Amino acid sequence: MSYYLLLSALLFAIGLYGVLARRTAILIFMSIELMLNAANLAFVAFARNSGNLDGQVMALVVIALAAAEVAVGLGIIVAVFRTRSSTSVDDLAELRG
Amino acid sequence: MSAFDLIAGVLLVASALAAVTLKNAVHAGLALVGNFLVLATVYFALEAQFLGWIQIIVYAGAVMVLFLFVIMLLFDAKADVGTGRMPWMRPLAAALAAVFFLALAYAFSGVGPVHPLAEIKLAGGLPGPLGRLLYGPWLYVVLLIAVLLFAATVAAVVLVQPGVRGARKKPQVLERERELGEVDR
Repeated sequence: MSYYLLLSALLFAIGLYGVLARRTAILIFMSIELMLNAANLAFVAFARNSGNLDGQVMALVVIALAAAEVAVGLGIIVAVFRTRSSTSVDDLAELRG
Repeated sequence: MSAFDLIAGVLLVASALAAVTLKNAVHAGLALVGNFLVLATVYFALEAQFLGWIQIIVYAGAVMVLFLFVIMLLFDAKADVGTGRMPWMRPLAAALAAVFFLALAYAFSGVGPVHPLAEIKLAGGLPGPLGRLLYGPWLYVVLLIAVLLFAATVAAVVLVQPGVRGARKKPQVLERERELGEVDR
């Protein structure tokens, strides 16, 4: 059973690499989704491990949070693209709009 | 460990690596869709049937379609644009991710089954048993999620509504729009 926990750790590490190495906001965001899914896999594996459904409920909560996060995050990306014509995070080094 | 576990693990890692390394953002998004679908089959194997279907409908369906839509809306298919301001970032990121994986693996190394597998009563993770939990001890969490989804909907609409905040356009945007106008003509 700890096989899936190891797999979830590996997926989380890959997502972390994506967040650090990518330079476009959308792709960084996609890497964050990868990390959320890795955490979900850990929750489901723990639920299977302990015979308790609470882990699956928590994974459902995370999926709902991710849906809200995607709506707001992509809205921010579109709004930033309107004023700067770019989604490269190197262009967003200043806080002025 | 069964053959399914092995195949699913290989597919998950390969699609995740593709999603963080491919140069074309649309290809990376499609690799991520594949990752989500394989993850759904893993959920089925781990007795989380409802969660598996939700994964397919919400993640592989709604969320990734939204991602691909925004990528195409913003002409942003080229993933690695711009000059690398920090060229040493990529190996450093790989090293940090490796260290993080080792730390997590060490933390997980002590986890074993709490109960013998025969005693596990997950009921296949079907909606019925999950619903009894959601509308029982987790009720306030469900209500908070309802508030959050409402707030997120309002925020998304306000953020992308044109003209609400009187967006000042940067010079490069005006230049870009002029270029696009020339293409149209």
